[in-house]
Amino acid sequence: MTDAPPSGHALDPTPTEPAPRPRGPRARYIVAAVLCVAAVVYLVFFGLGSNIVYFRTPTEALAHKAKEGTHRFRLAGAVVPDSVHETADGVDFEVADNGAQVKVHHEGDTPALFKPGVPVVCEGRWRGNTFASDRILIKHDSNYTPKQQVNSVTTVTVEPQR
Amino acid sequence: VIAWLARRWVGVVGVLAAASLVELAVLGLVVSPADQVQGDAVRLLYLHVPAAWLAYLAYFVTSLTSLLYLWPRTRSLAWDHLAGASAELGVLFTGLTLVLGSLWGRPVWGFWWAWDARLVSTAVLFFLYLGYLALRRVPADPHVRARRSAVAALVAFVDVPIVHFSVNWWRTLHQDATVFNPQLKAHIHGVMATTLLWGVVAFTLLYIYLLERRFRLAELEENLDDRVLQAALAERRAEVGVSAPAALMLWADRTVDDFATPYVATGWGITAVALAAYAGRVALRTREARRLIDESGPRP
Repeated sequence: MTDAPPSGHALDPTPTEPAPRPRGPRARYIVAAVLCVAAVVYLVFFGLGSNIVYFRTPTEALAHKAKEGTHRFRLAGAVVPDSVHETADGVDFEVADNGAQVKVHHEGDTPALFKPGVPVVCEGRWRGNTFASDRILIKHDSNYTPKQQVNSVTTVTVEPQR
Repeated sequence: VIAWLARRWVGVVGVLAAASLVELAVLGLVVSPADQVQGDAVRLLYLHVPAAWLAYLAYFVTSLTSLLYLWPRTRSLAWDHLAGASAELGVLFTGLTLVLGSLWGRPVWGFWWAWDARLVSTAVLFFLYLGYLALRRVPADPHVRARRSAVAALVAFVDVPIVHFSVNWWRTLHQDATVFNPQLKAHIHGVMATTLLWGVVAFTLLYIYLLERRFRLAELEENLDDRVLQAALAERRAEVGVSAPAALMLWADRTVDDFATPYVATGWGITAVALAAYAGRVALRTREARRLIDESGPRP
């Protein structure tokens, strides 16, 4: 035994003064905890904000048209079959819920799953009687069915696109 | 004998977890069919949903053990260690849920992220428990730390039902629950349902195994209260720290027929790497802690 450790070694039976706790880690983990709480506050108040109702249906959008003016909002509905027409800068189509139908003019690309019949969420604003959209999200449902199974049981009309 | 049996039991669960995860990969990537609407992107369901459920379960266990610590008759630091171990796994699974959900959202919704109630409340859950883990590491007397983290855990748990019911309470981009919806009617077909169930079983076995391992590690590290040993341990930890492999992202950039395949491959790859890295890290730290305890001889 040449170099005995300074204090508190397991083999040393004499009681020793407990060494003062290092300050470094303490401050670091308190900062980390506070940052996490700040992230939560940011997410709820700035991120979520008024998005608790993520989208409006065509019926609601038409009912609040005057009040909405040219404010940005999200409009969701099913893409009406036979209403889809590609344009120079994007695509024109209509979305519908059970009661109403709204014309949409979308500028930009469409998601891979975009096709007639699928429910979509469009982001944009009213321009006259058309909803001018610059972002489309697909709102898929919670049903899962195998591709093969449906094809073999029912007759599916083949979509020309894809 | 009991200790030996206990170790065996955990080993068996570990082997079963590994085997069922391999089987899950076979079922999820090969056997189960592509979805009518989503195509191959649906294969992320078999990881995303089990990860989310296990995160709920992990936080539930954290809350339960926190209550057992707070209850005077059952007060023991073992409950506190179990709460911490379970919360760490909860954060791991919540992180996986967010990453997998993002990788799933990109091909299906068209975007990596949306500011809807489900996604935001899940991110909130992640940061609440990350904060809880940070709070646990603030040096303090073990019982002071146990009490304050138990209270924090119970506060954080409020967000779990908010996450689960967000899709029913509010209008979200995220779809409703496929299985635990208000009607309790599963909208999922045959092999896909089997694969999802298998995923839940596999993740549960993995959770039990990792929870026990992480709990043992916490007990060992509690023994290492000697500052010299703690310093040595921190040094070793820094050496074995695992960095996330960026190679997976490059691999995912291959051009393939199906537009969803890179996202599915990345999601499954990240999950495999993250789980293996975590299990490996716990194993290394356990070995290191054991070695240091052996070297230091019996406690004074």
